Amino acid sequence: MSGTPLDFGDPADLNRLRTEFRAWLAVHPLPERHVDEPVPVFLLRWHRLLHSGGWVGLDVPERYGGRGLTALHQVSVSDELGACRAPGVPRIGYLAHALLEFASEDQRLRMLPRMLAGDEVWCQGFSEPGAGSDLAGMSTFAERRGDHYVVRGQKLWTSYAQYSDLCLLLARTDREGTPHRSITAFALPLDRAGVTVRPLRAANGDDEFCELFLDDVRLEESERVGSEGDGWPLAMTTVSYERNALDTGHLSKYGLLVERLRSAVRERAGTLPDGLRSEVGQCYVDYEVLVAHARRRTAERLGGQVAGPESSIDKLLMTRAEQRLYETALKVFPEQLAEDGGEIFGEYLYSRAASVYGGTSQIQRNIIAKRVLHLPSSGRP
Amino acid sequence: METEEFVLVRDLLRSFAARFRVGSADDVKPSAGAAAQEALGELGLGELRRSTPPAATVQECALLAEEHGSLPLPTSLLGTVLLAPELLRLLGTPAAPGTTPTIALARDLRFPAAGSSPLVAWDSEGADEALCVLPDGTVTVSGLGPAAPGVDLLRAIRTAEPAGRVVGRLDPAGHRHWQAYTLIVVTSELVGAARSFVAQSVEYARERAQYGRPIGSFQAVQHLLADATVLVEACASATRYAAWCLDHESPQRALAAARVAKAEVNRSAVEAVYAGTQVFGGIAQTWEHVAHLYLRKVRVGATVLATTADLLTVLAEPEAAP
Repeated sequence: MSGTPLDFGDPADLNRLRTEFRAWLAVHPLPERHVDEPVPVFLLRWHRLLHSGGWVGLDVPERYGGRGLTALHQVSVSDELGACRAPGVPRIGYLAHALLEFASEDQRLRMLPRMLAGDEVWCQGFSEPGAGSDLAGMSTFAERRGDHYVVRGQKLWTSYAQYSDLCLLLARTDREGTPHRSITAFALPLDRAGVTVRPLRAANGDDEFCELFLDDVRLEESERVGSEGDGWPLAMTTVSYERNALDTGHLSKYGLLVERLRSAVRERAGTLPDGLRSEVGQCYVDYEVLVAHARRRTAERLGGQVAGPESSIDKLLMTRAEQRLYETALKVFPEQLAEDGGEIFGEYLYSRAASVYGGTSQIQRNIIAKRVLHLPSSGRP
Repeated sequence: METEEFVLVRDLLRSFAARFRVGSADDVKPSAGAAAQEALGELGLGELRRSTPPAATVQECALLAEEHGSLPLPTSLLGTVLLAPELLRLLGTPAAPGTTPTIALARDLRFPAAGSSPLVAWDSEGADEALCVLPDGTVTVSGLGPAAPGVDLLRAIRTAEPAGRVVGRLDPAGHRHWQAYTLIVVTSELVGAARSFVAQSVEYARERAQYGRPIGSFQAVQHLLADATVLVEACASATRYAAWCLDHESPQRALAAARVAKAEVNRSAVEAVYAGTQVFGGIAQTWEHVAHLYLRKVRVGATVLATTADLLTVLAEPEAAP
């Protein structure tokens, strides 16, 4: 935690990038979504269009298909998209970071450019029916047989697996060792024999989540990401980059709704109960605090700090902002509860998952207690 | 300032704080306050915002205020060193020779209202007059009356003449700058207090044993401290960002950010100190323990300048164009 001044600002060249991006957006507007086109398919078209303009993977080195700029550049692009109500850049930042840090040079050269271009869509195979936030309880097993592995097990909550080509899969490679050393990561092609993908309908009606059944799936040694036993640190890196509101690109989405609520307060001056007015004010405070916090993290990261356990603080703040925001939106727009299928109600249901996905709020508190505050262990392994 | 230079100044204040910190409420005596204030004056920090352009940025001042809030100190760094000099700088008036002004607030410690309502000289250790900014930007100077003991035992407060002599007037941009600056400086001190008290309670949780184990190993205690940490970091991010805004953005934008920071701190610094107090258990309820010094500071601080209700009412709607 820095006790010295930080630069929260946009470096000068960011303004140039923003201007350049706005000009590009003016000639490349968001495409129309076809009737019955699934959202992920529509978003992939958008991803490819953005990539064709060089707007994906700005913070990834050039030799891997990026632009060798900084996280702040990528964030500015997200900001601009939010400002014109377009969907954000594809959420691949955390997967790219995992590959950058753990994959072999050959894998990085092969996989990253295709991931950035949207030629290969990735999903994340971490959770299991018996191991959600508790990754140590993972039971999917990859048995080594000479030069290859045979994987058996089941994954859950693999978002959009039915639209993906590859899965960043975690599996145990050692039944005896501690979880921190016995989990290994693989790049699993989802069309491999023995892989079954089954979409699960979510409470908000979407089919984002999937189950993944792995029935004696053969994986080559060259498909392993990192060394055997690197799965735990890889997962920690990945989730650290998944817990910051900037990295997840959620900020602009919240910002639009907060402004909608504040405008409603202005339009309905006098008819809104005082309590609800304050609650909208509180949503604005939560949102602006999150923006300030995300800017601070970005400044720290530009100063050379990598995402670590303090990202659990970011996740809890993001959860606080999101859950209050949608709760309040239902009070300001009560018709959302009367007419089923309202957009805000769908988002409200999803906001209840904010304290579960990416590690539950309780897990985030454990991480802060142990790895940020260094409180003594409870004696449990 | 260069970072190295700032670190030197900060460390100077840090050693000052270690030397003059109050060990318990019993140490809060007028003589001790006067001696500490004199030693603070010798550090020469009053010069930081006196020149144009100032020697220290708002962000640097905010970090110094944070440092000052970390330990229980009976000195008026905010009123006499950071706030009043800035106001005189904005007015382009030097302080009258031989006088040390602080700032005046309404009796309920909020921003002064229009008319000649009763005023207090807030943070008045070592001060002999108080500058008051009225809602229309008019600045007056008042003489000081007797001490008016406050709930925050570390903060010296005296009564001030209600209708002072007019010394100048802030234009609308200057007035916004002033409001943002005061909110940021006051908020920063509260952030420092909450951060430090939570850190002390974390330290205590590592040592204090119950049922044969350190209490910090119990998940119930861990989650309490984790939540307090989240609140402190939210306060720090919001406040430091607001300070940066005042250095780099329009006063209007900085004022919005400063209001957000104060609203966050009003709520969260108090919650964080509650959590720390809970971890300290019964001992925190004694007069000797420093816990109530922190609690008094943040609880009163949550009403100083602007209450949560004041702020949320303004922040609930988009601002009108300036």
